Amino acid sequence: MLGSLRESLDLTLFWEYRAILLRGLLENVYIFLGGAMLAMILAFAIGVARLSRRWTVRVLSTGYAELFRNTPEYVLLIWVYYVLPVIFSRLLATRFNFSPYAAAILALGASYSGFMSETVRAGILSVPREHTEAAMSLGMSKWMIMRRIIAPQAIRRMLPEALNQFVSLFKATTFVSLIAVEDLMYKVSMITVHEMRPLPLYTGAALVYCAIIVAAAQLIQHLSDRWRRRGWA
Amino acid sequence: MLDNFNHLVLPNINLLLRGLSVTAYVCFFAFLLAIALGLVACLVRLYVPFIRVVAIGYIEFCRATPIFVQLLWVNYVWPELFGFPKTVVGAGIIALALQSSGYLAETFRSGIEGLSKGQRDAGLAVGMTNLQIMRRIVMPQVVLVMAPSIVNQMTVVIKSSTLVSVIAIPDLMYEALKLVNTWFEPIEILTSTALMYIVAIFLISILAKRVSDHFRSKFGLAGLV
Amino acid sequence: MKRMAAIVRVVELRKSFGPLEVLRGITFDVREGSVLTIIGASGSGKSTLLRCLNYLEQPTSGEVYLDGKPIGFRIEADGRRAPDTAANISRMRAELGMVFQQFNLWPHMTVLENVIEAPIRVKRLARKEAVDLGRRFLSKVNLLDKENEYPARLSGGQQQRVAIARALAMQPKVMLFDEATSALDPELTGEVLEVMRALAKEGTTMLVVTHEMGFAREVSDRAIFLHNGQIEEDGPPARVFSAPTSERCRQFLSKVLH
Repeated sequence: MLGSLRESLDLTLFWEYRAILLRGLLENVYIFLGGAMLAMILAFAIGVARLSRRWTVRVLSTGYAELFRNTPEYVLLIWVYYVLPVIFSRLLATRFNFSPYAAAILALGASYSGFMSETVRAGILSVPREHTEAAMSLGMSKWMIMRRIIAPQAIRRMLPEALNQFVSLFKATTFVSLIAVEDLMYKVSMITVHEMRPLPLYTGAALVYCAIIVAAAQLIQHLSDRWRRRGWA
Repeated sequence: MLDNFNHLVLPNINLLLRGLSVTAYVCFFAFLLAIALGLVACLVRLYVPFIRVVAIGYIEFCRATPIFVQLLWVNYVWPELFGFPKTVVGAGIIALALQSSGYLAETFRSGIEGLSKGQRDAGLAVGMTNLQIMRRIVMPQVVLVMAPSIVNQMTVVIKSSTLVSVIAIPDLMYEALKLVNTWFEPIEILTSTALMYIVAIFLISILAKRVSDHFRSKFGLAGLV
Repeated sequence: MKRMAAIVRVVELRKSFGPLEVLRGITFDVREGSVLTIIGASGSGKSTLLRCLNYLEQPTSGEVYLDGKPIGFRIEADGRRAPDTAANISRMRAELGMVFQQFNLWPHMTVLENVIEAPIRVKRLARKEAVDLGRRFLSKVNLLDKENEYPARLSGGQQQRVAIARALAMQPKVMLFDEATSALDPELTGEVLEVMRALAKEGTTMLVVTHEMGFAREVSDRAIFLHNGQIEEDGPPARVFSAPTSERCRQFLSKVLH
């Protein structure tokens, strides 16, 4: 056991392949950025829709949020990759395919838009009704009130929670390798097949992700504390 | 489409249900183990000064490492490193438990730290010992206050458990993917599978909400979801 | 018939929180069956004093004796003081009942369970015996009909009366009241003061920290005015409330009475 402990902590093998692994990690980052962007856009739309005065809009958007919040990310990923193209193909009567990247971004974006729409909704609700009334009494239009009065306050308030969601999203990018996106975990398993030495490679991957996420979490903690001190969040 | 459903999903429903039962089995034991590990980690972090650092490191590692990475790590590295787990099911349970134990440890901690000092004082004032106060006053309230987040963590375990198919545990996802690879008809099978997960998770989140509302009205304890 | 023995004896009690000295040498006795009220502005150290008596706060120096026995320390054979064991401290605490400003009822237990918890766990009474005892004290505070409710369903005044029953159920030698009515709405203080008045009449030894000057004057045998962690005025209530010798006490009273 001591031998294998030494071996698993001996990360020279991991280091040897650093160029390839780093390229893999970059794929994670791309998928993350794409997914985060999509999630944000959808989350804002859905979050606002959930507060609509029309009940049909409310029901539909709440249904959307509940659906994606309660669907396991991996199941959604597989579904988007395998099922959605088939449906599109039949509807459009042509062959239709997603690249793994597109499927990954779409699936993760949709999945996290469910969680984040809740954050958006809570953020908007946290702005006191009186602020809207004050703005209305000054003759501001609805859209202007949203843009100038509600959004700036709501965004500040939802930032810490949203950043935590982004961390989860980044974690979820690790299993896009399962639909053959060549990310870090994909490279790790390829190299493992080649070298037959899983210990240092998987341990290295675990440590790399752990370090990135601990650093991100620390940064978020630091930022939230600072925002709270400024009376922002 | 309904036609396909009839001759693809229904004949294989037994297979899917067997997969679902494996999912339930893995999630159940993973969750039990997670509660035990989380409780130990939390108590060590709060009350055992010498090895507090170890507990903090453990909790942070569990929370910061993506579940997929942990799963492969436990599956490929642990058997050589520690001599266990001997089966993939064991590896799946351990990986899921590690992940959740980190979150549960922090949940328990915020429950304990959130309890007003007066609750303990009242115990001390009538002559109870620290152990009695922990057992009779602190822990029951932590469980009540944290019940919703504990139940919610169960939904996280179920979601993460979809990944154990990757290490060849024959869970629902595994059976579904196997069927897809046999018939090349993904729509009905994968959609039914997704619905099974969604319904299970949705029911559990409703349970969490109910529990939270009930405790709030009965004990005046605000559940933290 | 009141005995004259001192049941509580406090000698040169001091307590600091970091650089802040909250109690600066407090000495007094409490006779068995008497009621002592402690008054003073907030921050004068009244609550800390009570909490030092049952060792919820550890005094920095000085001694507290209950019925002749030291609390929190023991005298070794060679005459040196050593900290007492946790078990002994718990045992001494059980002999001092305490009622808190925030009630501190345990929300996950019913009213009756709150009252019988300590008799069962600490005094090791049989459950049936404890239930009888608990009911007796609940009827004493007029809440027998609420025995199966959870605290969340009770008003503040009712909660505080349960808290009093909980303390009484240990049949302590002395009852400590730490601003028992300060967290209550004005219309609810009456029912709690009523219970306390009845206890005083029965000859319960009580140490009462309070802002209710009328009540203090009416029920106490003796009053102490604390200022900056020291006793500024000490005497029968008639004198302390009507003709205090200390200028600070006079100022304090004129502020709270008008």
